[in-house]
Amino acid sequence: MSRMRNRLTITAVAILLGFLVVAQLRGVGVNTGLAQQSAQDLTLLVANLNTENEQLRAEISGLDKQFSDLSASRSRGEGAAGQLRADLDRIQGWAGLRSVDGPGVLIQISGAISGDGVQDLLNELRNAGAEAIAVEAVRMVPGTVVAGPPDGLSVENTPLGGSFEVRAIGSPQILTGSLTRAGGIIAQLSVTFHDATISVTPLDAVSIPATARDLAPVHGRPSL
Amino acid sequence: MSGLLARVRRLPSWQITLTAALLVLGFLIAAQLSAEGPRIRYTSQERAPLVETVIGLQDQQNALKDRIRQLRAQIGDLEAQLPGSAALEKTLAADIERARIAGGLVQLTGPGIAFRLEDADVAGNASRSDGLVTARDVRTLVEELWLAGAEAVSVNGERMVTTSAILDIGNSILVNNAYLAPPYEIKAIGPADLYDRLTGAASFTEFVGTRIDPAGLRLTFAELDAVTVPAFAGSVSGRYIRPTVTTGTQP
Repeated sequence: MSRMRNRLTITAVAILLGFLVVAQLRGVGVNTGLAQQSAQDLTLLVANLNTENEQLRAEISGLDKQFSDLSASRSRGEGAAGQLRADLDRIQGWAGLRSVDGPGVLIQISGAISGDGVQDLLNELRNAGAEAIAVEAVRMVPGTVVAGPPDGLSVENTPLGGSFEVRAIGSPQILTGSLTRAGGIIAQLSVTFHDATISVTPLDAVSIPATARDLAPVHGRPSL
Repeated sequence: MSGLLARVRRLPSWQITLTAALLVLGFLIAAQLSAEGPRIRYTSQERAPLVETVIGLQDQQNALKDRIRQLRAQIGDLEAQLPGSAALEKTLAADIERARIAGGLVQLTGPGIAFRLEDADVAGNASRSDGLVTARDVRTLVEELWLAGAEAVSVNGERMVTTSAILDIGNSILVNNAYLAPPYEIKAIGPADLYDRLTGAASFTEFVGTRIDPAGLRLTFAELDAVTVPAFAGSVSGRYIRPTVTTGTQP
């Protein structure tokens, strides 16, 4: 009887041990950052990833066509100046090397706001799908930052003063909705910067200049 | 000592087995509890399928980005080898390559800094919500690097380009709509004195003094002779932008 009880005890401990080992191993396998997300956040993540993956598939489709067209030109011994120019226009426009037009929004900001606050606004514009952004006459490209305290904002060494404009190209409805929604970035900034006034106007046509910054790397070299 | 050994030898074997099993059990429970920091809780049954979906979508995204990098490299090779009116097409192909490099569509290697930004230590401030790294923290570090003169920056392999946003989702971040798990590795290529410029900036000192140190976030760095910042592999096909001019652009 006693031997049976001992065996049952060992069996129970072994089962518990096995369960914990499996739980531990699964815990290590699952992405630890995801494991603590709420269902709501995970759903948002799924939506973001789905949208981005669709855009990437569309990009691949365009690149496949471009590759086929160039291959055909090459096999026929023809030039492809038209295709190259279209590719150049597309990349330069996206990268900020060329001035661009399109529908979008005009954001007018006045009053005291910090550089961090403006950068938060620009981040939200990019998140909402803005394809090109300018602060006053300065195109926002990698390396361009609006910085400084509320009474001394500047961008690319240009003082912004107490009132300035931000223009962005993208879907006017999505950009406006994203900025002005309840609890959105403008609502958040209004809490932090009481004296600042931010208004958003959807527009059918917005013009954004090319960057004046030299984006060619000096210290980095292309590598495979 | 020999008396103790003799007593141990007299113990029934099942007691030794049970003791060993209980020791392992205790170790596992302790390991599980200590691992349960603020970023880690058991995934509930309703969340498990969502977690699997996110992991699957992120894997798909990585594969799609690999394909984009591959296609762009192939197109670049083709453009450089096209026949026809050589002078015009060579000029255009060279302009395209320069635009790709300027826009972040080409991987770069050069001198720079690699930062690692992590949540506060489990034994320290991690139990507080401000002990977790946020998108704002990563964004601030990236902006400080730009202001210090960095010419290329990446966050966990995601190149920062003209359309890049850094967002909070729960306690994790999205960069270029890619889900990134901590710790965050921020790499920057720049001038030899990039670190001195960065740490000499009042805004960076303020960031460390008012955010990193009080919250117990862990910020470490290494100055390197060769930092590699990968190419951006997202979409560059805008739906709304149209180039306004065909001349007068930057080389």
